[in-house]
Amino acid sequence: MTATLPASRETPPAAPARPRRRRGRAGQRTRTFYLFVGPWIAGFVLLTLFPLGYAFWMSLTNTDGLSPNWSYVGLDNYVKVFQDSQTIASLGRTGIFMLATVPTGVAAGLLMAVLLNRDFRGRAVFRALFYLPAVVPGVAAALTFKIIFDKNAGAANAVVGAAGGEPISWLADPYVRSVLILMMLWGVGGSMIVSLAALQDVPRELLEAAKVDGSGPVHSFFKITLPILSPIIFFQVVTGVIGSLQVFVPSLLLAPVNGAAAVTAVPEGNYFFMVHVYAEYFAKSHFGYASALLWVLFLFVLLVTGVVFKIGNRAVFYGGVDPTEGKQG
Amino acid sequence: MNVNFARRARVTALYISLIALAVLFSGPLGWLILTSLKAPSELSVFPVQWFPSTPQWHNYLDALTFIDFLGYARNSLILASITSVLTTVSSAWMAYGFARLSAPGKKFWFGLLISTMMMPGIITLIPTYLMFAKLGLVDTYVPWILWGLCGAAYMIFLFRQFFSGMPKELEEAAILDGCGHVRIFWKIFIPQSWPVLAACMVLTFTASWGDFVAPSLLLSADRTTLAVAMTAGYVNEKGFPVQNLLAAGSTMFILPVLLMFLFFQRFFVQGFSTSGLK
Repeated sequence: MTATLPASRETPPAAPARPRRRRGRAGQRTRTFYLFVGPWIAGFVLLTLFPLGYAFWMSLTNTDGLSPNWSYVGLDNYVKVFQDSQTIASLGRTGIFMLATVPTGVAAGLLMAVLLNRDFRGRAVFRALFYLPAVVPGVAAALTFKIIFDKNAGAANAVVGAAGGEPISWLADPYVRSVLILMMLWGVGGSMIVSLAALQDVPRELLEAAKVDGSGPVHSFFKITLPILSPIIFFQVVTGVIGSLQVFVPSLLLAPVNGAAAVTAVPEGNYFFMVHVYAEYFAKSHFGYASALLWVLFLFVLLVTGVVFKIGNRAVFYGGVDPTEGKQG
Repeated sequence: MNVNFARRARVTALYISLIALAVLFSGPLGWLILTSLKAPSELSVFPVQWFPSTPQWHNYLDALTFIDFLGYARNSLILASITSVLTTVSSAWMAYGFARLSAPGKKFWFGLLISTMMMPGIITLIPTYLMFAKLGLVDTYVPWILWGLCGAAYMIFLFRQFFSGMPKELEEAAILDGCGHVRIFWKIFIPQSWPVLAACMVLTFTASWGDFVAPSLLLSADRTTLAVAMTAGYVNEKGFPVQNLLAAGSTMFILPVLLMFLFFQRFFVQGFSTSGLK
């Protein structure tokens, strides 16, 4: 027995040295952990925490970023946020955009995943075709949709023309928002792939047992598949909500003017909250006010995520496993 | 007989809906390619012309010279390579700490990591840009090197899930042999995790190749990336877009991403299924 003891990692060979060595080893372990994780912590402090603090400090001033004559204005910028009709209107538009893209996107992705979650000829080809647009970079997707919905050379007006109609200015109000929403839904393959991966984890035996018990495919889907998938669906809703609250690049890219002036030319339908923030920063140089808007968005995202989590906790089935605990090594 | 008929009807309905979806999803890229092959005169007629009368293949050559396409592509390539290599290695490095080591405060940092995944990136990007501008780092690649060295939360999480699933005996044996964690990481964990490494490389490379906001804020017009140059470059003297060359340029801009996707499709899917998003 004694011969095997020294081989055990937990037992130090000499008793008197025990307390010191323990502390030494624990200290060593802590140092190693921070050696590995340290760069991330440094990055978090320098590239997340500090910029957030910097923005907060700017939000308390009337700085324009260049002029040395700035002064401290307290919470004035935050008061202004709630008096600025453009802010409130753009926030409303962002909310509508979110409601129009997130539920439809997640549902369409799930539906396509269900269609593909069986064995048939050409499955891989269809999966690749549906997923492909999701890997097309946003810039290229916007350029493509700009060409399709171009008034003169676009496919959309080719269809309109074939039906005997007059050409439509798709990239202006009131159509441009629909173009943007279509463009977002074109990339729904990303959601499909995530749902498809999750569908393949649904135990076959469970579905077969339900079938033996006389459950139809639709009933089984709602009673078995959907609850098992609910964490994945929830995850997609959360990331979708956060993503749609910060949407602005597609708005800029679909604007009729390119380059730095694009932000001032965004049609009203696509003038979302983040577009407003961007315009306040870079078109009007209202750095103080724009930073306040940024902080309001940050708090708003926190609030919305909180609400989504609250609803999610009620609706999501985790199969008795704590979702925050991953597999511990 | 009846059952057979119902089955066949179901399969037919499945194929019809799949083919309809496939047409919808590949339509936009199809139109992009059709446009890229049209002559200028075919772009402004109404009713719109569907197909080019003779494919103008030289549009692709013209698109390369209309803007300094290859120069911008080189900038994109450098930036995307820096980003993907640094982000992948550093994310794996940090993930090893989260997956295999313990220390006071670990739970806190991990919780923070997860919450930064939820954080809207754009909120920090603009103040970060202003900060870099104050430090005189605008128009250099330093910001990307810094971002790369600090890892990406999602990738750290992905590696962490993968490392956590590896057997404990692996490093126990190595520790008994007197091997430190740094060597265990490089000699045991890195060689074992090439599917995740590849997935991470491909995902970060394509994200960086297509990124618009950071380069448009941080780089001047001649040092900028293809993604930014594409959006502003293809206009005639009157400021109107040259649609056919724009389409040809866009096709060539998308091509590397599509090729990577087709070659590494497996890794994209694997990345998702091994990451344990649940």
